[in-house]
Amino acid sequence: MDSLVGFVGKNYVLMAGDTNAGRSIMRLKDDFDKLVQIDSHKILAKSGEIGDGNQFCNLIIRNVSLYRIRNETELTTKSVAHYTRRQLATAIRKNPYSVNLLLGGYDKKDQKGSLYYLDYLGSSKKINYGAHGYAALFVGSILDRFWKEDLDFEDGLELMKKCLREVEKRLIIGTRCFLIKMINSDGISVVEKVMINSEKKNEIEEEN
Amino acid sequence: MFTLGSVLDNDFKSTIEDFSFETEFSTNQLMLPNIEKPFEFAQSIIGLEKDLQENENQLMFHQQKKEERKERALIKGYKGTTTLAFIYEKGTVVAVDSRATSGQYIASQSVQKVVPVNEYMLGTLAGGAADCQFFLAHLGRICNLYELRNNEKISVAAASKLLNNILYSYRNYGLSVGSMICGYDTRGPQLYYIDSDGSRLKNSLFSVGSGSPFAYGVLDAGYRWDLSKEEALDLGRRAICAATFKDSYSGGTVKVYHIDENGWVKISDDDASELWYRYEEKEKKKK
Repeated sequence: MDSLVGFVGKNYVLMAGDTNAGRSIMRLKDDFDKLVQIDSHKILAKSGEIGDGNQFCNLIIRNVSLYRIRNETELTTKSVAHYTRRQLATAIRKNPYSVNLLLGGYDKKDQKGSLYYLDYLGSSKKINYGAHGYAALFVGSILDRFWKEDLDFEDGLELMKKCLREVEKRLIIGTRCFLIKMINSDGISVVEKVMINSEKKNEIEEEN
Repeated sequence: MFTLGSVLDNDFKSTIEDFSFETEFSTNQLMLPNIEKPFEFAQSIIGLEKDLQENENQLMFHQQKKEERKERALIKGYKGTTTLAFIYEKGTVVAVDSRATSGQYIASQSVQKVVPVNEYMLGTLAGGAADCQFFLAHLGRICNLYELRNNEKISVAAASKLLNNILYSYRNYGLSVGSMICGYDTRGPQLYYIDSDGSRLKNSLFSVGSGSPFAYGVLDAGYRWDLSKEEALDLGRRAICAATFKDSYSGGTVKVYHIDENGWVKISDDDASELWYRYEEKEKKKK
């Protein structure tokens, strides 16, 4: 039921998640931030059970901080992805975390953004674009069709909105409100909190 | 023999204890047999509500599967209740019903579904009564210890996080807790929803239980941040009343509490059915 979308552009990574937190058919909270900041240039987008997501993301954040304090150096996105995957993999046969993740990060050394797709079963893959949840069904083909290497920020944002519009239009479960975040050399910034209303002929209302 | 290491260890331990929240229930120490898959075993002996709901014809289930039932100790989580809480400008309002059901049988009409954690924090009860009562009372103990050790009142965020961590460590063991931690601290009125699955959510209004959709209807329609105290209490009371009217698993009496900077106060305790007809008369008189 959670929708997460992400892709890599020219020196940035754009990620979006819906802002619903619910329990069976009920929406308990409609401003829930699923794009958790790990450190200054990495975001872990979580989907799945709320409790597992919270605890697991806390685990990753604290351990990345600990590494930074002990070794006085930041981890690369690749290292964090590998560490996260390992935590999920060791847990799967004992005490599984039912969380699916998208890890996006910008590495100052390579001057490039990267995106990793992580599963609750312990799978991990470096991807250019991807999604989790029901959104993946709708958004996969759009990204296949329209994603290009080195998209500018404006084009990237337009592509993201195209994806979110499709999710709102076709997913029967109401997810109108999405939070879009961007990671680039300056760090993490909230691009928009978007409320999409496809009835109004693809107009998009913006909320601050 | 005292080595430097052991002396340092002792010092370290004593300072850590001042800030630690380690209790016998912090980490999962539920006694289970020494088997390969403890989680699966625990789930097999604890009948989760979703397994029971699959058997629509309860009578046939009772008759036909008596042998099976004898082998399985069924601990059913009663989420037949309506509790709600919301924060507004002047504080926190908590409203609950007081019915406990056991299948189709009303076990009690006078259950206390609000458990005081301390003088300025309340916890609500939904799901398994025993689980909620125990863990909320335990939370009260921990909060008291925190105040004694640190000479300051514990924040609602910290208290809810403590409960969340404890419940998370028991998340596959069939506990049924749908509690709200409501209080007033230095940051103002606070409200957290804590679940036995390990979720912890912060929001300005929540409703938990089988009657929660009905309560949400009235609550969402009338909620504003700048309500007056009278309006807020009335909103909470009406929302529970509406839920008891529609939901057969909620009823009994409607209890309303208010929490502000001076602590929590029980405002009213009205019979749910009488309340409904009182409101109806009021509406008639207006016309």
